[in-house]
Amino acid sequence: MPYIPNTDNDREQMLREIGAESLDDLFADVPAEFRLDRPLDIPGPLSEQELTRHMAKLASMNTTPERVLSFLGGGVYDMHVPSLVSHVTGMPQFYTAYTPYQAEASQGTLQAIYEFQTLIARLTGMDVANASLYDGATAMAEAALLAVGAKRTRKVAVAETVSPAFRSVLRTYVGSLGVEVAELPRDGGATDPGRLADAADGAAAVIVQHPNFFGSLEPMREIRAEASKAGSLLIAVVDPLSLAVLAPPGEYGADVAVGEGQTLGAPMGFGGPLLGFVATGREHLRRLPGRVVGATEDHEGRRGYVMTLQTREQHIRRARATSNICTNQALVALGATVYLSLLGDEGLKGLALRVASTARYAAQVLARVDGVSLRFERPFFREFVVELPFDAHRAKADLAEAGIWPGVSCGCYYEGLENCLLVSVSENHDRHDVDTLASGVEAIVAQGRDT
Amino acid sequence: MTGPRQKRDLREPTVFELSVPGRRGWRLPELDVDEVDPARAFGEENLRSEPAGLPALSEPEVARHFARLAELNYHIERSVYPLGSCTMKYNPKVNEDVARLAGFTRLHPETDAASSQGALSLMYNLSRHLCEISGMDAVSLEPPAGASGELTGMLIARAHHRERGEDRHKVIVPDSAHGTNPASLTLAGFTPVELKSGPDGRVDVDALRKAVGEDTAGVMITNPNTLGVFESRIGDVIDIVHGVGGLVYLDGANLNASLGIVRPGDVGFDMMHFNLHKTFSAPHGGGGPGAGPVGVKSFLKEYLPRPLPARDERRSRGVEYYMDHEGERSIGKVHSWYGNFLVMVKAYAYILALGPEGLRRVAENAVLNANYLQEKLKDVYELPYDGRCQHEFVLSASRQKAGGVKALDVAKRLLDLGLHAPTVYFPLIVKEALMVEPTETESRRSLDGFVEAMRRIAREAEEDPEKVTRAPVATPVGRLDEVRAARELDVVWEGD
Repeated sequence: MPYIPNTDNDREQMLREIGAESLDDLFADVPAEFRLDRPLDIPGPLSEQELTRHMAKLASMNTTPERVLSFLGGGVYDMHVPSLVSHVTGMPQFYTAYTPYQAEASQGTLQAIYEFQTLIARLTGMDVANASLYDGATAMAEAALLAVGAKRTRKVAVAETVSPAFRSVLRTYVGSLGVEVAELPRDGGATDPGRLADAADGAAAVIVQHPNFFGSLEPMREIRAEASKAGSLLIAVVDPLSLAVLAPPGEYGADVAVGEGQTLGAPMGFGGPLLGFVATGREHLRRLPGRVVGATEDHEGRRGYVMTLQTREQHIRRARATSNICTNQALVALGATVYLSLLGDEGLKGLALRVASTARYAAQVLARVDGVSLRFERPFFREFVVELPFDAHRAKADLAEAGIWPGVSCGCYYEGLENCLLVSVSENHDRHDVDTLASGVEAIVAQGRDT
Repeated sequence: MTGPRQKRDLREPTVFELSVPGRRGWRLPELDVDEVDPARAFGEENLRSEPAGLPALSEPEVARHFARLAELNYHIERSVYPLGSCTMKYNPKVNEDVARLAGFTRLHPETDAASSQGALSLMYNLSRHLCEISGMDAVSLEPPAGASGELTGMLIARAHHRERGEDRHKVIVPDSAHGTNPASLTLAGFTPVELKSGPDGRVDVDALRKAVGEDTAGVMITNPNTLGVFESRIGDVIDIVHGVGGLVYLDGANLNASLGIVRPGDVGFDMMHFNLHKTFSAPHGGGGPGAGPVGVKSFLKEYLPRPLPARDERRSRGVEYYMDHEGERSIGKVHSWYGNFLVMVKAYAYILALGPEGLRRVAENAVLNANYLQEKLKDVYELPYDGRCQHEFVLSASRQKAGGVKALDVAKRLLDLGLHAPTVYFPLIVKEALMVEPTETESRRSLDGFVEAMRRIAREAEEDPEKVTRAPVATPVGRLDEVRAARELDVVWEGD
């Protein structure tokens, strides 16, 4: 047993020292009727060689952007992860440590989280941020609960243009608490501010994603004004990369900023682990879900970090906690901290502009294909929706044969958009990749016209 | 971290203090299309007015900063990490390696089934293995953490009762439960009813009988419980709750003690969560990511979050493994995608590496190691609930407290001696609690080292209590002022 030091000899000696006859003795409290009287029916044991061979085989049965030209996005993106990020998150000092309950022995993790909180607060233009949550969807749901607690009304309003997966998690979280979820109608590719006040009447929060699921920018300043008329807090769901260029939530007066931070140095990983973040104004600090790290001093006046405001949390306050969160995504947050430290303002802005430039080029060349058009006339950041002359599923199947994955089918999530594809561009794409996509689309559209 | 005797200031400046304008840590590929003019592309009013204030550093500076921070952390590869209820076991390296294979890391969650058969088969088989290990009938891998699994379980209970037209709003939790239990059931819309533990630290069966009624939605039980003892009357507990139509949820935090020995499903639990980051050796990451799959008996399967990984040997859809989205009675999603997949990869690799015999040995050695420590420490620290323990046990520093040394002081002194502390002040039903869980990956030698340190501290508490109450002195910082932290709330760096 490579992972278990005790030998049979050790076991016998230890049993003797504790005065037990056999290992069975130690399980005397387990009623005999419930004991398992057979070995578990699972495979193994495998040697390390066998295990790596098996795992490599499973990995090879998955197709990744190494083997196809992929424009899949819609919340998770194939961005480059700098080598240093995985080297830092691969240090046992970080990845094998526990939640920093013993602060004096966990200053590395605690300071990294403090730096993460600062980076997120600065990116979003908010006062404070928490130590991370599971993903963007749960961050949004927790923010909705924060608003419900602050406003004491049982309704939230969420834009139809918010990621369908996020809205689904929101419903799961607030549904059993009797919180009504109203949807804010869209006008084309963005929320219609003119119809917001009615739909949001009496809502604790108006929740809008910017850029939204379609990649489009939302009219955040108008939405802010309309949300105020309805007496609602504004929760902005943002893409941290976009914030290097786009106005952060703090600038347009959002009360809470949440989002998915996967692109800050985490791989796609079939959708997890991801990185949720929540930032807000000081007035809501005590309602924040999850861990918060604060700086303090020891008796000699040396600066140090601790988990603070723990009286909000489940292990102290139990049923009256602000959330049930215990674990956060500390290691992914550490990766994001390394990532943002490497890129800095200039690097992140350069990256954002590169992605936006390639995305714009992609939209232009795709729109030039006969029979293909941009579905929405809104400014967009890293992704956009194109409409094809036939069902997007069919287009995807045809293009897959040419080794091209053109994007996410919008029809899976929105009625009336069956012919639409959400095309996402990352910094791994260049002009040649985009041209390949465009000629691939051109070919299948021409083919589709022939048949 | 417990370095030279002589005090040196180990404080590492924040990354913001290290920043020097103009430094860069990354080079972007050359842009080969026209660069957008942000004002024209996004509209002037949509632009950021000033830079965020991210640090500017070169790669070696960033590397060094985080390497220095790493030095300030205790971790499992140093020595014993005996946090009770946290199952801090060694994290096998091969699991880290396989979870970094590009076929897993660069897999987009919208990838079609035919192009993700490796991941889907891994998820399907992991869920089957978890069923076999637990005696449950179906598993959702979606909950990204134990607390999320608890919430999922409670939402399932809610859906189950609601569908039967029953208004049951109370969930019973023993007073020894993890804080997440009452928090999770409250989030699911239930009201907690706290049940006082019996004199032996177990569920008080008579009190439970009195507490249940037609408004009881269920009970959340940790077994072995947080005192480290098996609920020997669990059969009665379950019968009582089932007798009034309630459901029994297992908080699976302590499953490590049961692998291959006893299966919660055979005992009669209706549902449970697994902590892949505890029992199945996925690392804790300094506080996440974890993974908290939920297992249920077949009558509750329809309520699980969708999609569920599924298998069709006849390949009627053209693929063997697929995601089954069917399920109108599902409670809905608890994560954007399928949960923490890369954590699942590690847990799956761990199960295969150990096999049936190995998993049983995990439980046996975890329990043996805990009993060994308990035996060697119970004469110097009070053991409020005597008897054999399972994977963990709870000591009390109440004897030391009489001399002015609290559980917290014992914990801090352990840090001075180069070891990590047990969980302190939990479970709440033990005064000055020191909750010790060594796990099976500790050798007898490291256990003896822990015993020696704990006995030395007990001695110091009598002979030189100040040595203990002043601790830690060998850590990078001394005891930190938490009151000040909560009062002054410096949670973001504003020093530049």
